[in-house]
Amino acid sequence: MGDPTGEPGSSMHGVTGREQSFAFSVASPVVHTDKTAKFDLPVDTEHKATVFKLFSFSKPHMRTFHLSWISFSTCFVSTFAAAPLVPIIRENLNLTKQDIGNAGVASVSGSIFSRLVMGAVCDLLGPRYGCAFLVMLSAPTVFSMSFVSGAAGFITVRFMIGFCLATFVSCQYWMSTMFNCQIIGLVNGTAAGWGNMGGGITQLLMPIVYEIIRRAGASAFTAWRIAFFVPGWLHIIMGVLVLTLGQDLPDGNRAALEKAGEVAKDKFGKIMWYAVTNYRTWIFVLLYGYSMGVELSTDNVIAEYFFDRFHLKLHTAGLIAACFGMANFFARPAGGWASDFSAKYFGMRGRLWTLWIIQTAGGLFCVWLGRANTLVTAVVAMVLFSLGAQAACGATFAIVPFVSRRALGIISGLTGAGGNFGSGLTQLIFFSTSHFTTEEGLTWMGVMIVACTFPVTLIHFPQWGSMFLPPSKDPVKSTEEHYYGSEWTEQEKEKNMHQGSLRFAKNAKSEGGRRVRSASTPPDNTPNNV
Amino acid sequence: MAIHTLLFASLLIFSLIPSSREGNKGRLFSVLQNSLDVTGKPVQDGVVLEAGKDMVTIKWKLKSSGKVDADATFKTIQVKLCYAPISQVDRPWRKTHNELFKDKTCPHEIVSKPYDKTPQSLDWTVDLDIPTGTYFVRAYGIDGDGQEVAYGQSSDEGRTKNLFSVQAISGGHVSLDIASILFSVFSVVSLLVFFVKEKKKAKLEQRE
Repeated sequence: MGDPTGEPGSSMHGVTGREQSFAFSVASPVVHTDKTAKFDLPVDTEHKATVFKLFSFSKPHMRTFHLSWISFSTCFVSTFAAAPLVPIIRENLNLTKQDIGNAGVASVSGSIFSRLVMGAVCDLLGPRYGCAFLVMLSAPTVFSMSFVSGAAGFITVRFMIGFCLATFVSCQYWMSTMFNCQIIGLVNGTAAGWGNMGGGITQLLMPIVYEIIRRAGASAFTAWRIAFFVPGWLHIIMGVLVLTLGQDLPDGNRAALEKAGEVAKDKFGKIMWYAVTNYRTWIFVLLYGYSMGVELSTDNVIAEYFFDRFHLKLHTAGLIAACFGMANFFARPAGGWASDFSAKYFGMRGRLWTLWIIQTAGGLFCVWLGRANTLVTAVVAMVLFSLGAQAACGATFAIVPFVSRRALGIISGLTGAGGNFGSGLTQLIFFSTSHFTTEEGLTWMGVMIVACTFPVTLIHFPQWGSMFLPPSKDPVKSTEEHYYGSEWTEQEKEKNMHQGSLRFAKNAKSEGGRRVRSASTPPDNTPNNV
Repeated sequence: MAIHTLLFASLLIFSLIPSSREGNKGRLFSVLQNSLDVTGKPVQDGVVLEAGKDMVTIKWKLKSSGKVDADATFKTIQVKLCYAPISQVDRPWRKTHNELFKDKTCPHEIVSKPYDKTPQSLDWTVDLDIPTGTYFVRAYGIDGDGQEVAYGQSSDEGRTKNLFSVQAISGGHVSLDIASILFSVFSVVSLLVFFVKEKKKAKLEQRE
């Protein structure tokens, strides 16, 4: 259940399948509240919070939440800090379109690897040190922007700064040590969405900082370098706050030492096998590349696009670009909520349709953005595109927990990596060459989104069906137990290693939709109402 | 949600301001009269000019070979620094368009003065924010409505002759580099200090 000794990427362990995005508290009486524990929030037997109080800073749970999402957001701020200043940087460093595009690709590529490593780092050092180490060791990379004098340096520094996006993993991991699994879906979704907002905040922040420094008397080519000190300082400040105010577990930091050895570890090779051989994993890797991936790509190109195409001032272009990233504040949780809402009536089939509709709509709005000729239509198209793409991210992670129980951590990690990979790929194809103008690039990116969202139709669960096919009629294969049990060999089942999966399967029956729920309401199972 | 609506509303208001400029749409460079004689010579020929230091001597006057009252409508002269084709390669934000409102060839203004019939001369120090590149000088004759009616440039029609090169400032300073190193070291060192201190504390507490 998200313990610190779990395998890499195990932060989403504990998600049972009954979560509603808007579950602010655990309603099930199955979760025992520990009334003896002295915390500001009600907690379960592991001292994880069972309630999510957004505007509280109570120690340690909500404090952890805020430290965690703000540090993740800071890393987004620094990774995309260059984007709104590109109109100045490209003149100082004599960059070509290819250089700018390659730098954009570099900025999202580093974290593909760092995110995979981060899970192991959190296992070794705990999420608090994992976060603090990453944030404080990447501060020098942000400061080194002041030394950059050409394209090679620019690309290298953006690549190195991009490593810090691995705070996504520490963020989710840390949340799962602090919050009960029944509300972890909402908590993680909110933390991830608010973290992604950093990509929007930076579009507003950096031009304003640059403008202030200019007015203070610096020349343009010096001012942007000084402006980079602001994200650098944010890294240091957040690192110190995490170290001084944060703790790994509800009971403190020492408890980690005591807990070592309690949990029977699963074999990494086995989990990897089940993750990789499940075809649904790869479809989600592709899908996330065209929801999160296009969001990251757009963060990199949109400010420059508005600056050039509509002859705006730097901070006006930044303001518009900020709206794109800031929509994450509610768009991502809304996507998760929409998925949960459709699941109430149509089960998993509803979730799949919701994902397909939202992501395809996002793609169509992206096409519209590329073809918009006036500023107003471009802004409207951009906002609608942002809602579609970001809600699709939320809707994706509303389904991923059901793909596998045993390999959930790795599948989540692979999906996340797919997002960055998709971003690098789209920037490489559409925004790094003279072959396409930026507006053509946006149009074709939209077409690619629509095309790459089609594979959702291929996702089929024998127990729940798919977009076009009903669930299997086979009495054995159409049970949740069979699907989740098939990830364990007979030998492992004899050792009862699969009990967690069986418990999950029972809870996941609600994904059959309304008729399943109304048909089976055993007296001891209180439905988890929102 | 309310903040987002406010942001969106202010965006629409912002957007009304630039759109009023587009009344000029459709005005083409090709219809302008080439009635000005412009020369732009760096202080030393064949040397790369340094931004912020070196000077360019710019002269402009009405072409003697043109019509007698070609400058009747001129109210202002706007002299601009323009990119030569070699500096526009792979840089679509510097692209030449025939529509004047779209044209990005000459983004840097050197001077804008009321029109004087007499030949003018200016010693211009290259601005600090001029990027590295190859340039020529162009002057536009602008009428009372703010519309371009004529032009003249220091280069030929293909913009390949009489060009000069500029080397931009790096923008870096020693003080900036030092500050950068100091903060980086502070970040790494404070992290290690925290880590070591906490490990020591944990060891002490474990022994108790």
